[in-house]
Amino acid sequence: MDVKTPEFPCEKIAPVSSPPELFASSVSPKKRNRASDATPDDSVPFGTPSPTKTCRRSPRILEINQIHHLRPRKLGFDDATKDLSIQEREENAEQNVSGLAAQKGTPRLSKKKSNSEGKKSTVLPCTLKSQKSTSSQKVGAVQRRKFLDHVTIDRVRFSKGDDVYIRRTEEDLDEEETEGCLVCGKSGKLVECDNCSRGVHLKCARPPLKKVPEGEWLCSDCESMKKAPNSGSRRTLKTHCTTPRTARELLLASKLWAARIERIWKEVDGSLWFRAGWYVIPEETAVGRQPHNLRRELFRTNQSDDNEFGSIFRKCCVLGPVEFRSSGREGDDVFLCEYEYDCQFETFKRIGDEDELVQAKCDVSEDSVSEDEEEDETDEEGTAKNKKSLQKLPENFKVSSPLSRAANVRSSQMHNLNKVGAKVIPLTARRKAASPFERAKAALRLTATPDSLPCREREMKEISSFVTDAVVAGNGSLGHCLYISGVPGTGKTATVMEVMQKLRKGYEEKNAHPYRFVEINGLRLTSPEYLYTVLHEALTGQHVSWKKALQLLDERFSNPKPSKRTDMRPCILFIDELDLLVTRNQSVLYNVFDWPTRPHSRLFVIAIANTIDLPERLLPRIASRMGLQRVSFSPYSHEQLQKIISTRLVQINAFESQAIEFASRKVAAVSGDARRALELCRRAVEIAEARCAVDSKKQASNSKGSPAKSIFKGNLVGMKDVEAAIKEMFQAPHIKIMGRCTRLAKIFLVSMVYEQHKSGMVETTFEKIAATYTHLCQNNNEIPADWDTLLTVGCSLGACRLILCEAGFRHRIQKLQLNFPIDDISFALKEDREVSWIGKYL
Amino acid sequence: MEPSSPSRKRKYAVEDECNRIGAVQVGPGADQRKAASLIQLPSVESSVVGKAICLLRSRLCNHAQAHILPDAQDNKRKIYELFSETVRNGCNNSILLLGPRGCGKTMSLAQVLNKVIAEVQEEYPERLCFVRLSGLLHADDYSALREIARQLCIEHRLVFSKSASFDDNSQFLTSMLRECALSHKTVVFILDDFDLFAQMSKQKLLYNLLNTMQSKEAQALVIGVSCRLDADQLLEKRVRSRFSHRKILFNPPLADELQKILPELLILSTDSSIVDAKYVEEFNCVTQDIFKSKEMGEILHSIMAVDVSPRHLLNFLFAAVCTIDRNIGLFSLSNFKMAHAILRRQNKLESLRDVSVLELYLLVSMKRLESKEREIYNFNTIFKEYKSLHDSHSTCDLYPQEVCQRAFENLLERQLIMFADGRKSNIGIEFCPVKLLVSSYELEEGLKSSPVCPTILRQWFAHEEFK
Repeated sequence: MDVKTPEFPCEKIAPVSSPPELFASSVSPKKRNRASDATPDDSVPFGTPSPTKTCRRSPRILEINQIHHLRPRKLGFDDATKDLSIQEREENAEQNVSGLAAQKGTPRLSKKKSNSEGKKSTVLPCTLKSQKSTSSQKVGAVQRRKFLDHVTIDRVRFSKGDDVYIRRTEEDLDEEETEGCLVCGKSGKLVECDNCSRGVHLKCARPPLKKVPEGEWLCSDCESMKKAPNSGSRRTLKTHCTTPRTARELLLASKLWAARIERIWKEVDGSLWFRAGWYVIPEETAVGRQPHNLRRELFRTNQSDDNEFGSIFRKCCVLGPVEFRSSGREGDDVFLCEYEYDCQFETFKRIGDEDELVQAKCDVSEDSVSEDEEEDETDEEGTAKNKKSLQKLPENFKVSSPLSRAANVRSSQMHNLNKVGAKVIPLTARRKAASPFERAKAALRLTATPDSLPCREREMKEISSFVTDAVVAGNGSLGHCLYISGVPGTGKTATVMEVMQKLRKGYEEKNAHPYRFVEINGLRLTSPEYLYTVLHEALTGQHVSWKKALQLLDERFSNPKPSKRTDMRPCILFIDELDLLVTRNQSVLYNVFDWPTRPHSRLFVIAIANTIDLPERLLPRIASRMGLQRVSFSPYSHEQLQKIISTRLVQINAFESQAIEFASRKVAAVSGDARRALELCRRAVEIAEARCAVDSKKQASNSKGSPAKSIFKGNLVGMKDVEAAIKEMFQAPHIKIMGRCTRLAKIFLVSMVYEQHKSGMVETTFEKIAATYTHLCQNNNEIPADWDTLLTVGCSLGACRLILCEAGFRHRIQKLQLNFPIDDISFALKEDREVSWIGKYL
Repeated sequence: MEPSSPSRKRKYAVEDECNRIGAVQVGPGADQRKAASLIQLPSVESSVVGKAICLLRSRLCNHAQAHILPDAQDNKRKIYELFSETVRNGCNNSILLLGPRGCGKTMSLAQVLNKVIAEVQEEYPERLCFVRLSGLLHADDYSALREIARQLCIEHRLVFSKSASFDDNSQFLTSMLRECALSHKTVVFILDDFDLFAQMSKQKLLYNLLNTMQSKEAQALVIGVSCRLDADQLLEKRVRSRFSHRKILFNPPLADELQKILPELLILSTDSSIVDAKYVEEFNCVTQDIFKSKEMGEILHSIMAVDVSPRHLLNFLFAAVCTIDRNIGLFSLSNFKMAHAILRRQNKLESLRDVSVLELYLLVSMKRLESKEREIYNFNTIFKEYKSLHDSHSTCDLYPQEVCQRAFENLLERQLIMFADGRKSNIGIEFCPVKLLVSSYELEEGLKSSPVCPTILRQWFAHEEFK
């Protein structure tokens, strides 16, 4: 971006941590705005580390605890940036605040951010170009940067998204040996100690291991050290550990840096540059290393800056928690990164699992042209992108009014949300479910996504054939709309999402056609018309009013010859809770189902609602456009529910099989709702857990000697627990409350029953009830209460909805009615001990 | 009347709230408490009696219900487990706290919250954030979402914009929940008067809250508090499916148990700040004697026959403490009688006591009309009946129609009568059908107690055929 000719004076910003020799050695004609310096020597082949090739992270990261208040504007900008307009600077500062990382695929990659970045990279060359026109004649296409997808240097292929070690100083890093076994010294498949992170062969470990152990494992030295923390062996161990030998150890001793390549480009003069998104080790964060931080844990930061390729030391591998676990800790350069670290606010945030999913939604079909070093087209794509974002800028940069800083306003939301984050990673986040009960609870949660959805194979096949047909055949496909119906909790949305996920995976493997996927939930829309705005925004990224959006969409879908290349992609629109979109004249539904039938729209609609006959209830012209392609999800039968629960509980020994059957039969008899079945089972597990805790306490107090084996059977969730859960969750509480009512309230209820029997009318007035009440009381030697009190009692019964009643101020003419069948009241009050005489009136 | 018809339900709900608001404003306990605090605050209680009364009063005000409630411990444990499940294991939960009014739902919740907050504080304070909504205040989705956004902004020190649109706010909520979940923060939504949220059209708010909790992108706990026992039945099918169906029931305590517990609330302990041991001993002795007496048993019985909720009983005790004679400094039975009278005001009788003669005539006319099986009557018919009396017996209480109409309007204002269809219609007031809101028994008592009531009116009232 900031290509400079040697005529320009060069000034160095002294990075806080740079050794003084560096200035002497690197008299460079090049400049970076933040990565402070690099050597001009491009002829040095990559891979042979030259003493002068160094790189520096922006000092802000390094000295984060001391100088975090300093803005990068002060630190990192050199002469070149001084020439830039003030606006540009502010933007840079802004960019730093709002999280520089901008990793591809982060959902936090807001429009604004990408724009600001895009702008920066365009504005810079522009301003520089104008200066340069005096000195160099070759201004034009040649002067532009070339953006690359991957680079092959020394037979090592670096591509976007790779993780690399980066040299911190020019010191030679000669040893690159892989660490051998602690016992025999040879290399091979090693199991790593969680404390000192040295490896041991499985067979060399004491006692020998057969497979890599799950959970924490300590080597024999650390084990003994743990047992006797004050023994003399500790010191030797420690000294051994702190001598860094491998790259990993160097990194963890903060002698190296790790970064992620976010972007690669080639400058005009042929030098290779990349944008590095930095990782930090726990020691470099504000809170320092916490006890539950893992040995190989890194944090991704939101800082990034530009560096020359020469500063790369070697590739490494930073994995998310799931991949890290499955990788079995093989290889020495593998690290775990679960959290993102915000350098400004010093907060941690988990890296969302859905990163890719969100990205896929927006640009799953961004044609990834694999460019080589020689290709020139990429260049144009880069600038095209920049131009596009430049055009959008004014809309998003109406900054500096107080409103736009508010967090709950769309334009400034992303910037504000960065402030939210955990100051410390809580200990519990690392705790894994240990007991079978806890594992069962975790597996039964509604949020736990199973690997596959059992019992919906047929429906899934239908949906996926519809979707694949739509994506592959485009407008030639047979159907344009798919209507899915079914009662809540039968897996409608989950099935569609799974189909889409499979399709995305297929796309990633390059055997599917590009497509777009837009998801809209009817209950999330302000009004049905708002659907247009959302759809339009999803397709084009512009937020307009719904009327305008309707107009634009209409044009878009009826236009036979699309202007832009992206328009060619078929769009799959997924509407959940369709019945909410029904308006008086049903225009929204009409439009939504009319567009797909137009010859060049390439729009496909999957709609979900609960009622099976919704199309028939709509206007005929809509129903006919919806077509006949329908899938209906029937409520789960008890076998299916049983299967669903037991697939989730595979390998967890927590349930008796009858208990699962009982629960699923109960739920299937009522609703066939999978959510309900899962919640029921989860509650049953909790009940069983509490019961076992009480049991074991008793056991402990009764007999200290006997082992817990005797109550083995009680350690599973049984029928009783499920029954207790059912009782708790599905039994209406009114009978219990009726039994606990006050004396007056009981007599009041009985008088209502009596009155209803007598008159045969369901609804009565307060006057009649009061008369009956007085009558009953007089017959049974009870002192009747006055009307005002009686009215209060009636109203409080009405507040609990044991009876339905009008407002109390209507007094005598207040209408009353029982809310439950008479049988319930008889059941609750027949055997009442407090007022024994009421039994005879029931 | 069909119980399940939604319009009817809604109507009832509104009326129910009217009842409640009325109760809150007119509740004698509330008045007492306010009055007492006004009088007592300026003077520093220096005497022994003053100290004792202060002690008792503060004990009764500071949520002492905990040991009156039979299942408070159990319920609190359940709520606490739910919290720890959400905070520690990142599991989403939803729950309803149900029970009659004044049975400690909110109080138990508050106590659990304090405990959880204190525990979480050790790790770091922002681990939990709360959003409190009330069905009465945030009646529609827009204001509810805006309130959520406002409270979340305050908790996280963000700038809040009042003018943000519904869509902005709902998007903010979604992304905020996500960010909080990613940084291991739990968002707790406390919905007071949950039933009113369930009566909003479409139940958008509940759906959105509960639907976000189906995904991993949230770590939230939704607690609904409601006195309607059928609150979960109000939910739409798709919302109900997303609700976890967990309910905690708060029972009112049993009367027998209360009889034992109540005296303990009024016992002064010997090791308290009151130095005078002799006084303490005497005080306790007298109090226990009173509670053992038969009359006190009757008072308690009648109090508990009406309402056993702890709030009601504490109001009763508070009123008794406030009426203690400071010169004596000991309870007497009359204190409790007075407190009983304060709680059991007979509103209709009291308002009948100071009704004018003419108004009494009108009321009795209405009563007579009703006993003649005339269901609907208006001012004109009432006036006719009134006149017919004077035609046969010339009394000195014959007033012209205008004056009678004034009296009639007065009665309307006092709500001793009301319009039959609930409101005034466009036609003149004398043609609107009205209804009498006083029972004949109450009217009879009123006539007896009224100092101005003429004998002829009593006779007229007693004998329907009296002409």
